[in-house]
Amino acid sequence: MNLWLLVWRNSFRKKTRFALTCLSVMVAFFLFTALAGVNHALTASVSSINQHRLITSHKISITRSLPINYRQKIAALPNIEQVSYASWFGGFYQNEKNQIAVTAVEHTSYFDLFEEYQIPKQQLAQWKKTRTGIVVGQALANKYGWKIGDKVPLSSSIWMNKSGSFNWEFIVSAIYQSNKLGVDDKKIFFQHAYFDKGRAYAKNSLSWLSTKVSPQADVEQVIKSIDTLFAHSNSPTRTTTEQVFVKEQAQQFVDMAMVINVVVIAVFFTLLLIVCNTMIQTIRERLNESAMMKALGFSSSSLISGIYLESLLLLGLGAALGSLLASLLLDVVKQGLGDFLPGIYIPLQHYITVFALVNIAAAFCSFFPAFKIKGIVISETLGGKS
Amino acid sequence: MENNNDIILKAINKSYQKGDNTVVVHDNFNLTIESGEFVALMGPSGLGKSTLLHLMGGLDQPTQGEVFIGGQRIDNLSQKELTQWRAQSIGFIFQSHHLLPVLSAQGNVELPLALTPLNKKQRKEHASMALQLVSMSERADHYPKELSGGQEQRVAIARAIVSDPKILLCDEPTGNLDRKTADEILALLAKLNSDLGKTIVMVTHDNKAAEYATRVINLESYILQQNKEYAQGEVSTVNESKVCEILTASSS
Repeated sequence: MNLWLLVWRNSFRKKTRFALTCLSVMVAFFLFTALAGVNHALTASVSSINQHRLITSHKISITRSLPINYRQKIAALPNIEQVSYASWFGGFYQNEKNQIAVTAVEHTSYFDLFEEYQIPKQQLAQWKKTRTGIVVGQALANKYGWKIGDKVPLSSSIWMNKSGSFNWEFIVSAIYQSNKLGVDDKKIFFQHAYFDKGRAYAKNSLSWLSTKVSPQADVEQVIKSIDTLFAHSNSPTRTTTEQVFVKEQAQQFVDMAMVINVVVIAVFFTLLLIVCNTMIQTIRERLNESAMMKALGFSSSSLISGIYLESLLLLGLGAALGSLLASLLLDVVKQGLGDFLPGIYIPLQHYITVFALVNIAAAFCSFFPAFKIKGIVISETLGGKS
Repeated sequence: MENNNDIILKAINKSYQKGDNTVVVHDNFNLTIESGEFVALMGPSGLGKSTLLHLMGGLDQPTQGEVFIGGQRIDNLSQKELTQWRAQSIGFIFQSHHLLPVLSAQGNVELPLALTPLNKKQRKEHASMALQLVSMSERADHYPKELSGGQEQRVAIARAIVSDPKILLCDEPTGNLDRKTADEILALLAKLNSDLGKTIVMVTHDNKAAEYATRVINLESYILQQNKEYAQGEVSTVNESKVCEILTASSS
């Protein structure tokens, strides 16, 4: 017999109560862990972005196009290292259910700015030489079994080509990979020149410009100078850092995450009260036993340690099961929603937070029982009245 | 026979605060119990028999006065010191056994040994020996709910003696038992007193139980006698020279 055994046996003394309380803990930590994974997906793309890249789009909406000659005008401004541009193609493969993020990009410069897309040099060179070539993300290539040289027909629900069709022919020229979390590897890029020449309307226009400013530049000043340059033109611009741009796009999800966060905090707090109440009830039921143990020579602190370990076991078990369940579920969600929400991942830091929370909660839940134990008067609890 | 294992209560005052009223339980109470005695404390309810037992066991402290157990003054010890002292020096047996239901008889008896430096094997051996002394070896693996009242009390006695304390304090140990089982328990306590030399102080209302004791103190008449002697200025029942001897030994 040792005290660990006593803690273990005491924990499972009221099996139903233990199971139900453990289930509550499990649900709370399931929500907490699941949210952490989704939250990472929503914020990772924002936080992983180079802060020296700017996005310039039409002041009114990104759906409005800008003249293609804006590139030269921006490039002529001070502290600009490189300018590239892109247009949203949208697209799907075979049927509209297979939506793919397809973007037409200025092929000579785009991947110099976006180094997070890792493309073998030979393949990149080949793509640059192939007008109908596409750069495909590894995950997407795996999904459809595409290889270099494969012909891939893609359709757009926005862009009609000169022949009056919405179907465009492409050849897989390169496959990119990314070892950086939050970078979507299910995209397709193709040459803007091919797009511009092939489309039936809106020639010589683009959706947005990407600008790399020099590291020593005052980013705010550069943003101001770009927007001032086009302030009185037919197509005024709005320039932001790429981080702000992506953040704005993700804003609706981030807000949703905040709402979920608040809900989780509320659930967590309620849970804390439930577990705390359980522990108080537990110690009340065992008052005589605690008094007897004190009479035998056990100190208050050793009995309080026992209660802390029981709380820790209850919360730890619930937290471990909840977190495990959430991570399994997120794996499944990642398979299904990977196209829509890439970057679902539970960082190690989250598990450290869970560990810390479990310990803090166990300490909190032992706090009131500790007072009860400390206040036991053995003679009154066990003693006769004679 | 006088030695350092005596129990000495000297000029004990004990009172409780109940609302605005102070309830005096003991006023200038003196008592000496010598090592190896089996004392039955008897008397009507409300005279403070259990209070005396709690004072001897360090479960309660006097409002005034001094308590010496085994040569050590304990009324001025801190709660922490008292806890450690109890673990080494005293075995308690209550009317209700208060065994832990999640532990077997063996586990319950081993419990106090968790506070000692004994290893697992030694703890097991000591507990088995204690269970053997109370004739409960065959029930070592049984849980309290699988034992009868008498068997539970036997296990409680085994738990009280397992760390080999010199003194056993019993608060109505047979109060919840039938006559036959009570006699078995009392015989067991008498055996622990005669064979192992344990000093036993037992609070009881049972005249039959008192028959097993080597000395019976009827608290009512004892207090009356004390008060009479006090009024007449006669020598108190506490051996003054003994207290001086202990105090000198403690200070040196």
